[in-house]
Amino acid sequence: MARGKKSSKPRRRTSEPPKKIEIDEPEYVDYKDVDMLKRFLNEQGKLLPRRVTGVSAKFQRQLTRATKRARHLSLIPFVADAVR
Amino acid sequence: MAIAKNTYELTYIVNSVLSEEQIKDLVERVTVYIKEGGSDILDVDVWGSRRLAYPIQKKRNGFYVNMYFRAPGAFIGRLERALEIDDNILRYLTLKLDAKMVRHFEAQKSQRAEAPAAETTEDNG
Repeated sequence: MARGKKSSKPRRRTSEPPKKIEIDEPEYVDYKDVDMLKRFLNEQGKLLPRRVTGVSAKFQRQLTRATKRARHLSLIPFVADAVR
Repeated sequence: MAIAKNTYELTYIVNSVLSEEQIKDLVERVTVYIKEGGSDILDVDVWGSRRLAYPIQKKRNGFYVNMYFRAPGAFIGRLERALEIDDNILRYLTLKLDAKMVRHFEAQKSQRAEAPAAETTEDNG
């Protein structure tokens, strides 16, 4: 299977997105802190990307860990069925 | 040489179909089992029955218990096996707390210590 043609255009560096979610990043993201976690999920229950929320990489890593733990304990749904 | 003890956080969900005493008895059994495992229990926080985000074993509600304790590492394997065996425990999550998480836990505990004091005065006020 031929690999897709490599796009010759240099990847355009998008401008720094405005920080959407203002939060003082705690030292440890607790998976029990559901309300705080929910602010970083979209309607389907998926984690918002950093370029949207503008949070630091360290915080994002803790966020993913806490979210997965919360999902394991059924505090947050894996798939929030957005009513279409 | 005293055995090295780590700090752990355990959260587990009990089948809420059971009667009140059965649940209480189960929670008590878990706590005693942990204590006998040579650990000192820091905090037991019973959240009670809560709606689950998705059904577990066809049930919509679960009885949550969250606890912190210090225990020798070897005990955790035995503890988790016991939790696995018991059918009434739908799910559990054991975490070893590193320094950051311990600080977070201490801070939470001190916050909660002040909060109820304030609340109770309002209640019977």
